[in-house]
Amino acid sequence: MTANDGGPPLSGVRVLDFGHVLAAPFCTRLLADLGADVVRVESSRHPDFPWPSSYRHTDGRHASYLNTNRNKRSVAIDLKHPAGRDIARRLATAADVVVENFSAGVMSRLGLGYETLRESNPGLIFASMSGYGNSGPRRNWTSMNMNLQGCAGLMQVTGAQGDPPTAISNSWNDYIGGLHTGYAVIAALTERERTGKGLHLDMGQFECSVSMIAPLLMFSAVKQRNPDRMGNRSDRFAPQGVYRCAGQDEWCAVSVRDHVQWRALARVMEEGAADAPLASDARFAGVSGRMRHHDEIDERIEAWTGGLESADVEARLGQAGVPAARMRRVQELVEDGTPSGAYKRMAEPRVGSMLTTALPMEFSGSALPAATPAPGLGQHTREVVREWLDLSESGWAELDDEGALV
Amino acid sequence: MRILDFGHLAGAYAARLLAESGHDVVRIDAPGGDAVRRTGPFLGDAADPEQGAFHHFLNAGKRSVSLDLKSPAGWQVFLALVRTADAVVTSRPLPMDHDAAKTGLVWTDVEEEADELCAYARSGLLSLTGQRDGRPTLLGGHMIYLATGIQAAVATAAALHVLQGTGQGQRVRVSMQDCLETFVEQAMVEYTFSGTRTERRGNRGTITAISGALPCKDGHWVVSQINRPGRWEKFMEWVRDPELMADPSLASDDAQREKKDFIMDRVLAWSRQFTKSEIVEEGQRRRFPSSPVSTPLDLTQDPQLMARGYLTEEDDPRFGRIPFPRGAVARVRGQEMRPAPTLGEHNAEVLAELGYSEAERRELLETGAV
Repeated sequence: MTANDGGPPLSGVRVLDFGHVLAAPFCTRLLADLGADVVRVESSRHPDFPWPSSYRHTDGRHASYLNTNRNKRSVAIDLKHPAGRDIARRLATAADVVVENFSAGVMSRLGLGYETLRESNPGLIFASMSGYGNSGPRRNWTSMNMNLQGCAGLMQVTGAQGDPPTAISNSWNDYIGGLHTGYAVIAALTERERTGKGLHLDMGQFECSVSMIAPLLMFSAVKQRNPDRMGNRSDRFAPQGVYRCAGQDEWCAVSVRDHVQWRALARVMEEGAADAPLASDARFAGVSGRMRHHDEIDERIEAWTGGLESADVEARLGQAGVPAARMRRVQELVEDGTPSGAYKRMAEPRVGSMLTTALPMEFSGSALPAATPAPGLGQHTREVVREWLDLSESGWAELDDEGALV
Repeated sequence: MRILDFGHLAGAYAARLLAESGHDVVRIDAPGGDAVRRTGPFLGDAADPEQGAFHHFLNAGKRSVSLDLKSPAGWQVFLALVRTADAVVTSRPLPMDHDAAKTGLVWTDVEEEADELCAYARSGLLSLTGQRDGRPTLLGGHMIYLATGIQAAVATAAALHVLQGTGQGQRVRVSMQDCLETFVEQAMVEYTFSGTRTERRGNRGTITAISGALPCKDGHWVVSQINRPGRWEKFMEWVRDPELMADPSLASDDAQREKKDFIMDRVLAWSRQFTKSEIVEEGQRRRFPSSPVSTPLDLTQDPQLMARGYLTEEDDPRFGRIPFPRGAVARVRGQEMRPAPTLGEHNAEVLAELGYSEAERRELLETGAV
């Protein structure tokens, strides 16, 4: 194993990206970060959904677009125009991978379905990632991230018993669907080198998200009941929770995994107190007792944390060897910098520079490409069409005259 | 290709995904069962390493070899296994020289956090999960490990792609803390561009105004709609709420963002009169992204999962005929997934494949190295 002397893992792989909003563009960003040549098919006639955003550049690109579509190129093709569909078909013939997240049937209606494209490109890997997949009773259902958070079980396994359905304020399902599909595409590319055969990956974002709770689905299948919702607690040790600290919306997570940590917690909490009943209370001596009396212990912990800054709680417990972490917010991740470097700065001509998400993977033998800014609409039409279709200047001029490259 | 799986929850899901693509995945189990097997809840009545729900899902499609890596003989078997492998996925550091072990090997280190809740708090994700103004909450089902596992599967697959193309092996590192922080990216982008702080919103969406889980007669349903031209008017044709209809300015993005709580509160009052299926089906008929809110028990009978073959039925010797989640990738690849192996189920078989004679196999099994 030598250090980073190889090119990016997916160099030489051509990806044609028909994605919109987030799930498919997130998937193709992953492929681009790993070195694939990702070309987005876009059109001024049918722009990507106007995603509500606090920032929109004069060219129509919004903040999330800039982060999700870096490292890609853009061709502008009107797919409603017959000549446009023909160019898209020819690009797909030159591609290794097509990724799309239209509703079921849309690509086929455009004459760009897998069955059509495979005739001229039998090695094509065609990944569909609609909400529920292209078959089954819900194939025509339309869905967004929040629909899938509800439908795939996330909301009902998060939170404590009796809580209303509880969501996460991010695009969880787009990430989960995008990662699963990215994995499936890479695995299929590797297999294709042996078999020469392409395939249609009809991924359903719903199924990807259901896999995230599939162990609990298996529990319910056998027990014919739902598992208990655990909130912040553990079924193996106690106490564990997120405790309110002094100030507005300040919290500290504490996780006591064994007896030594329990005694350490009690010692820290009772420092300077007139009486020190927690450590000596026989009811709390064993883990089963602490689980039985979890509510009472939580109240006692919160009575202590409520008077302290969250950073103070974290520091005191950390010194005593008790796992504790204050709740960090996005502004702290950004301003303090993440120790891991989850985000990095990228040149972005529209704004000078911006923070963008790093790929959370390290390879000892493959260099990853440096991030380049998200493309303007149609910025690379000419270069990609000429390059992928191997066109001469006059061939390009002919295509451009048809009025479909907009 | 052959993959050795020595992963905790994230590593085990990465290796399961490799099995879903048809690779031969050998799970290295500790002699008494490891932490994955001991992760609850349990399908039976006891906290038994053969009955863990996580073991049953994460180890399906794999073979199990139980090895005592502390015994010299067990370690030698492990090294012999490594020499036959294309990739190793591990969540534990192992005392070995990867370069010397085998040329052309992908070695994936998955750095998993021992304290799930603390890792979640540090990552920033805790501040985005839970009820508004209420206590922030961990995502259920240890799902953040599985989400990390997909990242590890992507990284391993990318390195296997290089291996197949060039014969070059390499070391891959995926850290759970890094992965979790990247899932905050949307809030990061909003904050860095405009200073907007993304908050917990219970079960309401953050991006679009019309978005959230709402109570109905028999549970909850979700509606979530990006505002496009004409959609507000169509939504009003369906909801027919006089207070919302009285304010035509609500058709604009800005007004919707400003008044999203008012909008959703009015929609909530309306949706209470319908059952889940009534309102979801009508919503879909009108092309509004709507869906039921499902529990894990609901999902065991989900018509979409059954029709697509994500859920199959398996005869389990212990639990009878049960719905079995084949997996998102296995389904699309038509890959059969064997139920999770019992501890050391494939010891003799794998030793034979490695070329150990019958006498050597007997000795390894009797001394407890295997």
